[in-house]
Amino acid sequence: MSAAKLERLLNLTALLLETPRPLSAQEIRERLGAYPDELESFRRAFERDKDDLRAMGVPLEVAEVPGVIPAVEGYRIPKDRYYLRDPGLTPDELAALRMAASVVRLDGLSAREGLLKLGGLVGEADDPGLEVGSLPGGNVGPLFGAIAATVPVRFTYKDEVRTVDPYRLDFRRGRWYLSGYDHSRAGERLFRLDRLESGTETLDGPRFERPPATGDPGARLEPWQLGGGEPIEARVLVDAPQAPWIVHHLGSGAVEEERPDGSVVVRMAVTSRENFRSFVLTFLDHAEVLGPDDLRAEVVRWLEAQAA
Amino acid sequence: MTATPARTTAPDRVARLLAVIPWIAARDGPTLAEVCERFGVSRRKLEEDLTILTLVGVPPYTPDTLIEVTIEGDRVWLRFADVFARPLHLTPEQAVALVAAGAASQSLPGGDGEGPLASALAKLAGVLGLEPGETLSVALGDTRPDVLEALRGAVAEHRRVRLDYYAYGKDRRSTREVDPAGVFAHEGFWYLRGWCHRADDHRLFRVDRIVEAEVLDETFDPPAGGGGREVDVFYNGPEIPRVTLDVGPSARWVVETYPVDRVTVADDGRLRIRLPVTAAPWLERLLVRLGAEARVVESDDPELVDAGHRAARRILRRYGVR
Repeated sequence: MSAAKLERLLNLTALLLETPRPLSAQEIRERLGAYPDELESFRRAFERDKDDLRAMGVPLEVAEVPGVIPAVEGYRIPKDRYYLRDPGLTPDELAALRMAASVVRLDGLSAREGLLKLGGLVGEADDPGLEVGSLPGGNVGPLFGAIAATVPVRFTYKDEVRTVDPYRLDFRRGRWYLSGYDHSRAGERLFRLDRLESGTETLDGPRFERPPATGDPGARLEPWQLGGGEPIEARVLVDAPQAPWIVHHLGSGAVEEERPDGSVVVRMAVTSRENFRSFVLTFLDHAEVLGPDDLRAEVVRWLEAQAA
Repeated sequence: MTATPARTTAPDRVARLLAVIPWIAARDGPTLAEVCERFGVSRRKLEEDLTILTLVGVPPYTPDTLIEVTIEGDRVWLRFADVFARPLHLTPEQAVALVAAGAASQSLPGGDGEGPLASALAKLAGVLGLEPGETLSVALGDTRPDVLEALRGAVAEHRRVRLDYYAYGKDRRSTREVDPAGVFAHEGFWYLRGWCHRADDHRLFRVDRIVEAEVLDETFDPPAGGGGREVDVFYNGPEIPRVTLDVGPSARWVVETYPVDRVTVADDGRLRIRLPVTAAPWLERLLVRLGAEARVVESDDPELVDAGHRAARRILRRYGVR
């Protein structure tokens, strides 16, 4: 890349930050004096520069130049949208962020540029002794942007175009989940990002208000808790060899009874009976649904159909 | 950290400068060496960039509106750079890369609750107008922190571990001694890889299925070349028997969850899935979850043909149904 191009992009950014009103392409050309004389070459170069600035995340605003008839498009960069507010990170904090970013990466999303803006690369990336590798990164960036800006997004999911107020992103069981208000379904819904059938289009508005987080914000998204309706409380007996796993997985608060033989009775709040059955059956004959009766009967009927 | 990638595009270089300018301008003569290290740029490139800066400013481009660069010895000062007094805001991509990495690291053993990472994330959330933890969380895998921490220590110190392990596929619990080679997170689970003395071979263990991990005094020599050969999370070599299932369209999740050899879709939407079966209990679970809709239509191992029936009858006995 030529020094001239670098100089021009920096001066273009400075000019559009400083201008009190939108500047037309012609005005920009005259003031910078850095574009080719020939009109077609100028237009091409100016288009490329705009693309470059936008790719960097520079908030380039297009508005009519005031007082000009017929109307002419003009450009400016609003300072309040350009400048990064200073979080005032200490060297320790910068080093901790760098360390975190060296252990956990998102596919296709670099943490480096962000670190540079926040004050540079500080500290050493030492080996944590654990390998995490990359988490999937598709659609995560624009969705997080829309969550922060509290604006709706549009994407295709299960063959349907959805307009969603995005509330939060959770990475569970190796996948990203988005929760938000689905306007097409008029209710809160959970979306698996790996099942998005399109990119994410961020809409300008209307802005929404994020409801306060209910319960534990990091709450598990267990399969048997998906689905709507009032939860029913299931009681499940799990044999001794599998007991430590289920107790850890559900938390000790879920344990109703510890039996002398090492088995445990756990309680689970179920909103998806189908997913509950599927989960319980992964224990094969090492677990038993004790109640309620209709849930137990449902599992028995399911198995009888197969044993027939 | 490498200095400068071989090819830096114009926007990359502009982006870097837009971060470098305010940093230098806010300080009283940092050294060039410090700037190079912080911003991952070579001395030569930095000097080139600083030369260009003397040509950058705002109209009318008189000397006091152009950036003034002073280099004395090893130190550098910038003046008249007010237009670039702050770096360009974080893009959503840059923000989420840091926030997600931070959230994930918090969940690792030794992840600090109140240390510098936590305060950095809180400050970052403040700049983004968010409450920390309210809009994003990362769980790398379900595991007991004490087990993960013990394994990490054992890997670092090359100490043998004794595992009380529940082998899920085989549905069997056993005790074994392992020379641990590494601990890694993969698609929602933590795994330990190492040399299993019981199997006399490399093995993978799901950390959440380790009931107890005891770090022994006995040390071992790590194999040359690091962690031994790679072990697949889903090993499905040709000697593993295959079955072909006939299932309804709602069983699509099987294809997304497990490695499969082949899937064909019939006119009525039913799927034929051919997949490897590493252990009979694994197939039993899959079949009882799929229910009466699913049938084994072909199997390398004749024992597996009625695995679903058998498992359903066995579970029914537990429910007192004969």
